[in-house]
Amino acid sequence: MTWALAPAILATLYAFAQDAPISKPSVTLQPPEIATIYRGHSGTVQLQFRIASGFHINSNRPKQEYLKKTELKLDAPTDMVIERVTYPDGEDRSFPFAPDEKLNVYSGDFAIAVKVRPLKAVLPVKYAIHGRLNYQACDNAVCYPPKQLPVSFDVKIAKSAGEHHRRNPPQSPHG
Amino acid sequence: MKRDPVILIVVALVISIMLVFGIQKARNSSGQQGAGKLQGQPAPDFSLASLDGKTLKLSDYRGKAVLLNFWATWCEPCKIEMPWFADLQKKYEAQGLQVLGVAMDDATPKEIAEFAQKLGVNYPILVGKEEVGTRYGGVQYLPSTFYISRDGKIIDRVFGLVSRSEIESNVQKALAQQGQVAEK
Repeated sequence: MTWALAPAILATLYAFAQDAPISKPSVTLQPPEIATIYRGHSGTVQLQFRIASGFHINSNRPKQEYLKKTELKLDAPTDMVIERVTYPDGEDRSFPFAPDEKLNVYSGDFAIAVKVRPLKAVLPVKYAIHGRLNYQACDNAVCYPPKQLPVSFDVKIAKSAGEHHRRNPPQSPHG
Repeated sequence: MKRDPVILIVVALVISIMLVFGIQKARNSSGQQGAGKLQGQPAPDFSLASLDGKTLKLSDYRGKAVLLNFWATWCEPCKIEMPWFADLQKKYEAQGLQVLGVAMDDATPKEIAEFAQKLGVNYPILVGKEEVGTRYGGVQYLPSTFYISRDGKIIDRVFGLVSRSEIESNVQKALAQQGQVAEK
């Protein structure tokens, strides 16, 4: 029975192979963990992205001036400061379309670190930070128009231990 | 119960055919495959501004074989073939070839012109519009190249970078189509 199905399997594989250039590049954000950050202090959130197999995107620092860099744009809520966005180093790779040229790219999984600092006055609750990842993908022969991936993650703002201390100051000997 | 292997093979073949047709149908429903349907059809006419400020129409080139290349400054594979197109333009110009580049870009015309100049482009570059891409089946991949015969029909389209020899062979095919005498 198994061998009889061989033509079906082969035909399916052939059809999918033919279909390969039709597949679309995808970059996805892996569900981020909720980071707890003390108000008035900085904390870092790691955002893990995954690029579909067979595709690459330019790094944040592509070597060629005309290439579209990967960039995370965030809209910080009021009283929340995005202090820094740290991108990983890309990988220098050459591709069949330009074997003598190295491109600085991301492929597979990569992480972007976002340093967030809630102001001291912010309420100690959960906040959602929204934004978008701008990227432009190619495979070994074709490039796809620049895209935006919506990005969203939560941070939980907590009171620091020092704040509790300040809220309950020792009584004044004159009080 | 013993199964007849012939019946099993027939069943497997039927499944194969259904799968292949199903996938083909799915592929044909995608936008880019709309470009495939254009093969053998008259190339949709358009009017676009060139980098030197002129307005060019595809139909102005009726009688010539046209290599219509959609590209962008951010497209690395496009950079590889553009100098080839420039060479082919030079080589086959006397025979009636006209290469036209359509920049599907958000760069400024000045940036596009500088980019093209660096690559030695010797053919008109037009500033693309999405609407024109849509008429060509939706240009979802770059480079996308259409080969148009002298009588204005799309004889082939190629997505992605291919070898220079394949490009030249397509140019020769487009030139071989007999059509009306070049007007331009």
